[in-house]
Amino acid sequence: MLAEVGLIALALAFASSVYAAVVSLIGARQHRTVWVDSARNAALLTFPLLALSSAALLIALVTEQYQIAYVWQVTNPTTPTFFRITALWGSQQGSLLFWCLLMSLFAFVALLVNWRAHHRLIPYFITYSMVTLAFFIGLVVFMENPFARYWIVPDATAADGVRVVYGVFIPANATAPDPVRLAETARGLNPLLRHFGMIIHPPMLYLGFVGFLIPFAFAMAALASGDLSTGWIRAARRWTLVAWLFLSLGLLLGGRWAYDVLGWGGYWGWDPVENAAFIPWLVGTAFLHSVMIQEKRGMLKVWNMVLIIFTFSAVIFGTFATRSGLVDSVHSFAQSAIGTPMFLFWAGVTLISTALIVRRRQQGALQSEQAFAGLLSRESLFVLNNVVFIALALAIFWGSFGAPIVSELFLNTDITLGPDYFNTVTVPLFLVMYVLMGVAPLSAWGAVSGRSLGRAMIVPGAAALAGVALCYLLGVRGAGALFGFGIVIFAGAVAVFEIARGAAARQRAMHENPLLATVRIFTRNRRRYGGFIIHLGITIIGIGVIGSTLFQQETQRTLAPGATLSFAGYEMTFNDVQTGQIADDGRVMDITRLTVSRDGQTLATIRPRHDVYPTSPDQTAIAMNIPGVYGTLENDFYVLLVGLQPDGSATFKVYVNPLINFVWWGGLVLIFGTIVAAWPHEGQQAPARLRRSAAAGPPKGHATA
Amino acid sequence: MPFRGLLSLLLVFGVLIGTAIGMLAQADPTTITDDQVMDVARSLYCPVCPNEPLDTCQTEACYRWREDIRQQLAAGRTHDQIIADFVARYGERASAVPLDPTLNALSLVTPFVIAAIALALGAVVVLRWRRRQPLSVAVSSSPMPADASAYRARLEEDVRS
Repeated sequence: MLAEVGLIALALAFASSVYAAVVSLIGARQHRTVWVDSARNAALLTFPLLALSSAALLIALVTEQYQIAYVWQVTNPTTPTFFRITALWGSQQGSLLFWCLLMSLFAFVALLVNWRAHHRLIPYFITYSMVTLAFFIGLVVFMENPFARYWIVPDATAADGVRVVYGVFIPANATAPDPVRLAETARGLNPLLRHFGMIIHPPMLYLGFVGFLIPFAFAMAALASGDLSTGWIRAARRWTLVAWLFLSLGLLLGGRWAYDVLGWGGYWGWDPVENAAFIPWLVGTAFLHSVMIQEKRGMLKVWNMVLIIFTFSAVIFGTFATRSGLVDSVHSFAQSAIGTPMFLFWAGVTLISTALIVRRRQQGALQSEQAFAGLLSRESLFVLNNVVFIALALAIFWGSFGAPIVSELFLNTDITLGPDYFNTVTVPLFLVMYVLMGVAPLSAWGAVSGRSLGRAMIVPGAAALAGVALCYLLGVRGAGALFGFGIVIFAGAVAVFEIARGAAARQRAMHENPLLATVRIFTRNRRRYGGFIIHLGITIIGIGVIGSTLFQQETQRTLAPGATLSFAGYEMTFNDVQTGQIADDGRVMDITRLTVSRDGQTLATIRPRHDVYPTSPDQTAIAMNIPGVYGTLENDFYVLLVGLQPDGSATFKVYVNPLINFVWWGGLVLIFGTIVAAWPHEGQQAPARLRRSAAAGPPKGHATA
Repeated sequence: MPFRGLLSLLLVFGVLIGTAIGMLAQADPTTITDDQVMDVARSLYCPVCPNEPLDTCQTEACYRWREDIRQQLAAGRTHDQIIADFVARYGERASAVPLDPTLNALSLVTPFVIAAIALALGAVVVLRWRRRQPLSVAVSSSPMPADASAYRARLEEDVRS
């Protein structure tokens, strides 16, 4: 029954999205308001239908309906209820359904929020968003259906006269398999996914990915309708920020999951699937900066279109890479037949979008309203910043997908590019990014002299020098590290300096106390000052990345019980080990107990362990090394149990990761800043240039496509 | 005959000396530390796992490959020789950066070329825009004007509610 309910709701959602896409297009072209209203209602309907379908699958997971193949694959009787719920996105079919649900949720909210304000764009917005949604629902319905069930059908050729088949519809003469037998053989959730980070990391990442559908659909709606004024920018910017917020959260949680679960002492391994999520983040960041130039100066109209389309294209490509088996990764789903349709969809979206931009450009609808006034102007620096972001995205794309694919196709050689490649190629670009992050906010729109820009850099520059001196006094050596810290601190100092300047100016103007003045500048211009908090977060992350990358120490030693290892200022004593401990979920654990001390003072007892998850006879056993960590702001003392020896000794891999917690704290600051910047402001007005432009209406001569 | 006997004696002596030198050169694998092994393994990828560096891979096969590295280090082979050996046995994907000069250049030079082209295109576009249109020096309400007092005035206007 649950399968039928889920399936019917899914099919109706597919029909509804197709109907909405077609009818809204006809309604827009023939100016039939009723048709557009009908399309909107159909588009809104997709969300409750997909929610119903997802709820059916969720209930099936929780109530152990193992006849449904997806439930059998991702749960078993030992799976705790909590992980039964998260199993909804634990494998290909369920996660695709969940993806569709989130996409429909975004479309639902966007339609409700933007219906009145952007009525010219909405019909085409419905078309593009619903075409995309219909494509993904189609994949779920026709290729990766989570409601397919196991059946037993008569088979004269089989030894026992029956065979097990798998299908969405009930075959002729079929009977349901024995539920007890199904429960006994059910596989269970991948152990790697049984972690808090993985519980919310995929939903955040999916929200980030699907969230970019909204600005993309608005951009396409602007191109298709010819309403290229400023409406699409206003509609798209905040949605981009929302998607960017979730993508940032997803990336941070993914890093934390890797650090806690994957057992290699780090948080970013330049894995192709990690990179597939990072590329849209980079391009989306470029768009968030570049769109300001269009708002303030009416420039870079083509470029902004290209960026938002490139961002969504990167999302689709990343999804294709993760779900098609294009790349091997610990994060990727199994190989699947959806690769070809996804590739065709990605190519189609990219080509159609590009063709629309070219067409509008030829019509002169995307011309800049201003000229670049100077190479040191803020818009010039933002363009340079965009070049850096795009270069980073391309370099990471090349290392993750380009070079391996080209090498395999044309040189018949399978290659892997590891951290050596990415560190060589991306570090210079990241440094330039930090320099621009510092300099650009000090510049101004329009003409700027080098002298005045230099004057504005004196205070933050002095702060950066003081920071470098402090690093040196704290024992940091090496020109590269000091240079890196200096640049990153400079970028952060500019953010603090600008906030302080704003607060001081308000304090003088309004005679408010410093705290109130600071709060008021944030409430009055959330976007500007939220942006500075984001910069501060990126600065803190940068400090953590430099510290944990350049100064990480590691060693691997085998210790007898009672033996002590001295390493990086710490002493670690191996007390004992408890082998064969069985957890509630059936995993077998070898747990070691270590005492961590420093200068003779005991700091903590940590328990690195080795877990082996029970599997069915036809599966390979899954083992995980869960680290024991003693963490401070200064560093993490991170220990992995690598192996137990027959003589009772144990082999440990020990990492000391300096400043690594700055990465997580910086991430929190970044998220806070993004929430501040994206938070709706009651009575908030668009910039004056936009208000003028909007009042004037769309430029003449832009016919509806 | 005495000469041939002397020659044979010398030959046997030479073989014995050579064997002894060889045995001395081949260190006891137990003297090779895990850190030395990991230093090499860090530059390699597991030949069978999906994008998994050899120093962190936890499969049984990777434990054996790390022991193989230990044996090779004990035999006096260098970091680069061991990597070349893995590449010869398992292909270029075993190395974190391709050893083949063509593949290496393709991998490492291309992104810099792309970045240079992107930068050049950006510069050309900016210069063309500057030439094509008359300069509009409509400075916005943002900071950074010519003098600090004007800046303060604009900022104060900006922050005034």
